[in-house]
Amino acid sequence: MKKLKTTEETMPNPEEAPQWLLDLDKVGFVRKLFLARKWYGGDWWFVAISGVLLIFIIIVGIFPQWFAPYDPRAEVGPSLLEPGEPPASFQLITRVDQGDIQLRDIANRDNNIGFIIGSAASQAFREAVDTLNETAPEGVRYQPRQQRYEYLIEGFDSLITGEIDGFIASPDELGETLAEFPQLQLTGTLREEGERGFVFGTNQIGQDVFSRIIWGTRIALIVGLSSAVVSLLIGVPLGLISGFTGGPFDRVLTLIMDSLYSFPGLILAIAIAAVLGAGIGNIIVSIAVLYIPTYFRIVRGQTLTVKEELYVEAARSLGTPKLKILAKYILPNVIPSVVIIFSVNVGDAILTEAGLSFLGFGLPPDTPDWGIDLARGQDYVRRAWWLITYPGLMVTLVTLSFSMLGESLSEILNPRLTEQ
Amino acid sequence: MTEQNILMKIRDLSVTYTTRLGDVSAVDRVSFDIYKGEILGLVGESGCGKSTMGKALMRMIQPPGQITGGQIIFDGEDIMTYNDGQMRDFRGRKVSMIFQDPMTSLNPVQRVDEHIVEAIQVHEPKTKVEQALERAGTLVRKLGIQKRRMNSYPHQLSGGMRQRVMVGLGLVLNADLIVADEATTSLDVIVEAKLADQLRDIKEEFGVSLLVITHNIALVAELSDRVAVMYAGHLVEIGDVEPIFDDPLHPYTKGLLKSIPNIKLDENEDLYKMGGEPPNLTHPPSGCRFHPRCPYAMPICQKYEPELAEISPGRLVKCWLYLDHPEKEQETIEVPA
Repeated sequence: MKKLKTTEETMPNPEEAPQWLLDLDKVGFVRKLFLARKWYGGDWWFVAISGVLLIFIIIVGIFPQWFAPYDPRAEVGPSLLEPGEPPASFQLITRVDQGDIQLRDIANRDNNIGFIIGSAASQAFREAVDTLNETAPEGVRYQPRQQRYEYLIEGFDSLITGEIDGFIASPDELGETLAEFPQLQLTGTLREEGERGFVFGTNQIGQDVFSRIIWGTRIALIVGLSSAVVSLLIGVPLGLISGFTGGPFDRVLTLIMDSLYSFPGLILAIAIAAVLGAGIGNIIVSIAVLYIPTYFRIVRGQTLTVKEELYVEAARSLGTPKLKILAKYILPNVIPSVVIIFSVNVGDAILTEAGLSFLGFGLPPDTPDWGIDLARGQDYVRRAWWLITYPGLMVTLVTLSFSMLGESLSEILNPRLTEQ
Repeated sequence: MTEQNILMKIRDLSVTYTTRLGDVSAVDRVSFDIYKGEILGLVGESGCGKSTMGKALMRMIQPPGQITGGQIIFDGEDIMTYNDGQMRDFRGRKVSMIFQDPMTSLNPVQRVDEHIVEAIQVHEPKTKVEQALERAGTLVRKLGIQKRRMNSYPHQLSGGMRQRVMVGLGLVLNADLIVADEATTSLDVIVEAKLADQLRDIKEEFGVSLLVITHNIALVAELSDRVAVMYAGHLVEIGDVEPIFDDPLHPYTKGLLKSIPNIKLDENEDLYKMGGEPPNLTHPPSGCRFHPRCPYAMPICQKYEPELAEISPGRLVKCWLYLDHPEKEQETIEVPA
């Protein structure tokens, strides 16, 4: 008899779940993420990477001023600088017989200044004149005329003959040529060589590409998240009600949603955006309309399945009211698929937004936005690869991290998956 | 049994499913009583209308099915006249149900205690969560579930424990009748035996009545006080367990009992197999629905449907063998009381 008792004690109770399985539910959210690898195989790093990336992107979107070195709308440097290339310096060349003079002395309305066609010297020149005007005494206005030359030698000849009063060129353009003209001298530097270049280069109007991308994150997140939230808030309740009640209401709603769904996405968005007109709010609305049927269809389908489940019937057999069944039994069991669509949807909405801006619908033309940057950069694909590469990369990255995170989170937070 | 002992009276209850092939009368004019504090077993083949019957008792038949007639009298009130609100209150508080598959009959995203607290709060909205939890705790202890399991999710429990939680959900509101629809079917024999024991204990302790719907005849023999046999939507025999198992009267009951595998069967003896197929209920056979398969069939059987008549005290059979009729040529069998 005694022996029997000991065997009973040592025998594992077949109804006991393993302790680690029970422990899983007692931990907090963060710890859960770490414990996730227990049942999520090696893919937990997937979540970690996309999570960190997204948090960073969101911080960037909220506080772009912390990260962007320049104003995204301002012309901050020479146009089309390669990433990392420092802006070149420019020097003023005058005749020796003019003596020791400055730009100020030859910058009157009747003076002529020359430079090579297509050189960034024109920009440096304009900047220098602007600086002069700022410090000029009352009533004095500097505005020399510009002369453009195809070759450096041509310009030097004009300078020697006195047709122009000065010439502007960068050290690269000058090369060794100045040594061959003893009548000419270097009198000053219009712009120092920049110590550092622009991380992602500059675009065709001299705006910093990096700053524009940083500020573009804000627009992308605002449009992506709010349009996804709007379509979720409309699509999910409609799908729940439609699936749960059934009947003619369900038929009509499904018909409407299916007809919306059958439009090619971008074209529908273009049509709505064209009707609504420009503005960030209108863009959000037109993208939201696009994704309502996606939520509706998935949620309705899931509701149809879940409402046939035994636990819903069990709830009815306990007298649970319909609204409570919908809120506590059907909705929580539908949520996992909503989370997945939401995450994919945010990425997709960002892509659509970029597409709309690319086609010129919606946002004002100078907005720092990835889609607009892509559209403007495509004219320079051969000369300036950096104009389209970086915005394109950002769109890809954000889209990818949203869908990666959504998919893996839904797997981790789903209590049913711990079974396997 | 006297009138006071009757908990629920079912009179001429019919359930019809409307399909494209025609109306299926899954339950056809069934009448019986459920007594207070008894375990009534309801047995029959698959598709004979057992589960439909169980759901109909709570008016839980979903379209395309419909209760097409009859009365269900509980506490002197016909619940067929209840409106939706009254019906919701009735479910759970007066009659509750345990389902076939314990694996899917609990909400996977709710913890065990949330289930029980919710059941209480649905019917008694003023109950505080702490009070409800306390009640749930006491009940769950009686059912042999450890207290620390209260905040487990259903998937962390074994099938037996889930089924016990379901039983608990039925008991927490002090329901008078629990309908157990194939409650033990998906459990293994050991857990099944435990649950059967527990059901009997519950009956003793809480004084509830149980309607055990199953096709496991052995379980019914072990558990029930009375047994009802259904065939093709008709109730064919009802009575105390022992007389029915010792001496089945209806030919279908006879066949059903002979079909049970028995360890005493020797090698030469085959298991009894009932001839024919269960009838298509869109076009049920005329007269007695069992006559095409009945070894004792008589000419009258296909002409008229017999009544469910009391052959001996407490024993009702629906068969022409035991009834008189002017057109009947054979001798009526007398059953000694």
